[in-house]
Amino acid sequence: MNRKSRTRLLVATGVIVVVFVIGVVFLVQRQGAYYSQVSDLTSGKYDDKNVKVGGRVLDGTIKRDESGVSFEISDLTGKPDTVFVSYDGQMPNTFEAGVDVVVVGEYASADGVIAADQLQTKCPSKYEGQASPSAQPGQ
Amino acid sequence: MLTLGTYSLVAALIFSLGAVWFLALGMRTGRKDVLRYGYYAAYGFFLSTLIASAVLLQAFLKKDFSFAYVTENSDATLSVFYRIAGFWAGQQGSFLFWLLLLAATTVIIVALDFERLERLTAGAVMVLAVISAVFAALMVFDTGSNPFLAAEPGMQPFGLNPLLLHPGMVLHPPALFIGYVGVAVPFAYAISTLLLGRGDKLWVQRSQKWTIAGWLFLSLGIGLGAWWAYVVLSFGGYWAWDPVENTSLVPWLTATALLHSFTLYKSRGLFRRWALGLAAATFWFTILATWTTRTGLIQSVHAFGTRSVLVWILTGFLVVTAVTSAGLIAWRWRRFESHDEVQSWLSRDFLYYLTNLLLTLFAVAVAFGTVAVPLLMDRTVGPSTYDSVARPLGVAVLALIAICPLLAWRKTEGAELRKTLILPGVTMLLSGLLWLYLGFQSSVWGFIGLLVCGFAFGAVIQFVLRSARRAAGPGKSLWSGMGRAFTGSRTRTAAYIVHMGMVLIVAGLLGSTVYRQDSSGIVSTKAGSEDATITTDDGRYTLEFVRLRDLPGSQNSTRYYADFRVIGGDSETIGTVEPHTDIYPVSGAAVRAVILGQPFQDIFVVTDEPFDATAETIAVRVVIFPLIRWVWIGSIFLCIGAAVSLWPKRRKQEQEARVTEAAGIGADAARPDGATA
Repeated sequence: MNRKSRTRLLVATGVIVVVFVIGVVFLVQRQGAYYSQVSDLTSGKYDDKNVKVGGRVLDGTIKRDESGVSFEISDLTGKPDTVFVSYDGQMPNTFEAGVDVVVVGEYASADGVIAADQLQTKCPSKYEGQASPSAQPGQ
Repeated sequence: MLTLGTYSLVAALIFSLGAVWFLALGMRTGRKDVLRYGYYAAYGFFLSTLIASAVLLQAFLKKDFSFAYVTENSDATLSVFYRIAGFWAGQQGSFLFWLLLLAATTVIIVALDFERLERLTAGAVMVLAVISAVFAALMVFDTGSNPFLAAEPGMQPFGLNPLLLHPGMVLHPPALFIGYVGVAVPFAYAISTLLLGRGDKLWVQRSQKWTIAGWLFLSLGIGLGAWWAYVVLSFGGYWAWDPVENTSLVPWLTATALLHSFTLYKSRGLFRRWALGLAAATFWFTILATWTTRTGLIQSVHAFGTRSVLVWILTGFLVVTAVTSAGLIAWRWRRFESHDEVQSWLSRDFLYYLTNLLLTLFAVAVAFGTVAVPLLMDRTVGPSTYDSVARPLGVAVLALIAICPLLAWRKTEGAELRKTLILPGVTMLLSGLLWLYLGFQSSVWGFIGLLVCGFAFGAVIQFVLRSARRAAGPGKSLWSGMGRAFTGSRTRTAAYIVHMGMVLIVAGLLGSTVYRQDSSGIVSTKAGSEDATITTDDGRYTLEFVRLRDLPGSQNSTRYYADFRVIGGDSETIGTVEPHTDIYPVSGAAVRAVILGQPFQDIFVVTDEPFDATAETIAVRVVIFPLIRWVWIGSIFLCIGAAVSLWPKRRKQEQEARVTEAAGIGADAARPDGATA
C-alpha cells in the first residue's frame, strides 16, 4: 500500500469536488429563476427578479413586429390577474392563443412586463395522463 | 380484447413475482431445481407481456378505436408505420413497451443460462424480475398507466400529434427504452454479485456487452431526439436543457464512465467500487428519468398532473433502489478493494480516474439542476446555467480523451510524452487557422475549446499510428502494422472511432451554440411589395420571398410552401429554401423548418407560425448554425464504434482469448492498448 499516493489522490479529488460544488451552487443562486404564479407577481417579492411563470395565452393579445412578439397571459390558478410578456426568440411550434405556456425571464415591475428569454409550450408528446381526452377535441 | 390485455398484465405481474420468489429461494438454498422454476416463471412473464403487447399492436393495426389508448394516439388515416408508432406515443403504451423489452432481455439471459444455472445469473434475473414486477404493478394498479381501458362512447380519434409524425420521433423513444433496459443488466449483476459477496470479475464479463449495447442505444436515442428537435420541433436548436432531455443525458454520462471502469476492472482490478457504484447510479438515473417524465412533479414543458398511485410506486422504487444499492456496497466494501492503485499524475490510470470523476460530477450537476433545484430550492435553472457547466466540463473531458491514450499505464516518461505531442500540436495549430477562417475569434472561450478539439483530433490519429507502429514491430514500415492496429482489439478500434466521434460532437456543439446567429423578420406575400426580403443581422445573407404554393403531403396532409431565394454577400443566389406548414385532416398543423446545408454551417429557416395559401405576411426566422453537422456525424461514429466492440469475435479468436485467460495472463491481453507497463 502506498499511503502517500492514496492521500494525494484523495486531496486532488476533494479539491475538484469542492470547487465544482461551489461553482454549481453559485450559478444556481445567481441565475436560478423563482417559480411564481401570475397572481403573485404584484406582491413585490419578485420585482426585477428572474421568474418562471405558467399562464394561458389570451385570445387577441398576440402582437408581432420586427422586435419580436408580445402577448398577455392569464393566471392558471383561476385568479383574474394577467401579465404581459415580451419575447424575441424562436417561437415553439405549438404556440397560439389559448395554449398554456411557461415563460422564464426578468419581471420588470415598473412596466409590469416579463422580458422572457425562454418560452415553452406544452410538450407535443401526449404523456399527459390526467387531461380528459374529450375535453380537448381535435387536438 | 381489452380484458385479455388487462389479464395478461396481471399474469405478467404474478409471473414476475413468482420468478422473484423461486429465485430468492433457490439462491438461499442453492437448489438448482428451484432456480429452474424461477426461470420457467421468467418465461411465463415474457409470454404474458408478449400477449399484452400483441393485443395492443393488433388494436393499432386494425384501427380498433374501442381502446381509449388507440383513440388517443392514432386515427384511421395514418399509415402502418405511424400506427405502429402509436404503441409508444403515450405513457401507457410506453410502459408496456418498456416491460416487453425488459422481458425480452430477461429471457435471453435466462435462455443462455438455462443449462448452466449459475447463482450469479440467477440473482441478476431475480433483480430484473423485481424491476419487471414494479412496472407490471404500475400498469395494473394505476389506471392512468393501463393501455387497456375502454374508450368513452362517442370519443373521436385524436390522431398522432403532427410533431410526432417524423421518423426521428418514431425511433427515438424505442432507442431510449432499449438503452434504459440495457443498463438495467449491469445493475442486476452488480446487485447479484454484492448479494453473493463475489468480489471477482464474472459479473463484469456477464454484463459488459449489455452495457455497451445499452450505451449504443442511449447514444442513438439522444442523437435521434436532438435531430428530431432540430428538424421538426423548429425551436431553433436541438437541445433545450429540458428536464426530459437532461434525464436521458444523465444515465448516458454515468454509463460512459461505467464502460471505462469495466475495462480497468477486468484488466487490472482497478475502479472496482466505482464500477459497482456507477452500475447502480446509471440504473437509478433511468428510473429518475421515468419519475421526472411521468409524475410531473418537476414543472416542465412535459409537466402533467400528478397521480398518487404512480407517484408512490415510482418514488418508493427510487428510494428502495438507492438504499439497497448503497447498503449492499457498504456491506461488501472491503471485498471490492482495488487491486492496484494510481501511482503517478502522468499515467493513464490517473486520467481514467479523472474522466470517471468529471463524468460523474457532470451527471450529478445535471440531475441536481433538473430535479433538486426545483424540488428543494424552489428555483429553476435554464439553458445558460447548464451551458456554463457543460461547456468547460465537455472540453475538459475531451482533453482527457485526447491525452489519455498517449500516456503509459502507471507512469509515463517525459521524453516519450513530448514526442507523442508533436502531431496533436500540429493539428491544433492547423485547426486554429480553420477557426480563424470561420471567424470564430469572436469568443475567446469558444476558440480555446475548439483548439482543444483540434488537439484531440491529432491525438486520436496519433493513437492509431502508435498502435500501428507497435503492431508492425521494429524495423518494419508503419503501414504494415496498420491492418492489425484496427483488427487487433475490438475495444481499441471502438475507442478510436468513438473518441473521434466525440471530437466531432464537442466541436459541433461549441460551433453551433457559441457561434449561432439568429435573425428574424416579416415579409409580405403581396406581389411587388417592398417588404419581400429579410437580411441576416450580420449582413451576409438575404432571403427574398418568391411565392406561396401547396402540394399534397404524406398522411393525407396538405403541405404549404413559402419559397425563398437565398442570396449571399456577393449578390449571388446560393440556393432556395422552402419552409413549410403541414396541415393534417385530424391532428392539426405543424410548422416545418428547412435547412440549407453548407460545408461549415447550416442556414436554418423556419416560419414563426403555421400558414396556408391565404397568408398575407409571413414571419421568418433565419438561424446560422456553424459546424452543426459534425454533431450528427459524430453521433454516427459513436454508434458505429459501439457496434464494432459488440461484434462477436470469430470462434478462433474467442478460443485464443479463453486460453490466455485460463493461463492467468488475461490481464495483459485484455488491456486496451496491448502492453505499455
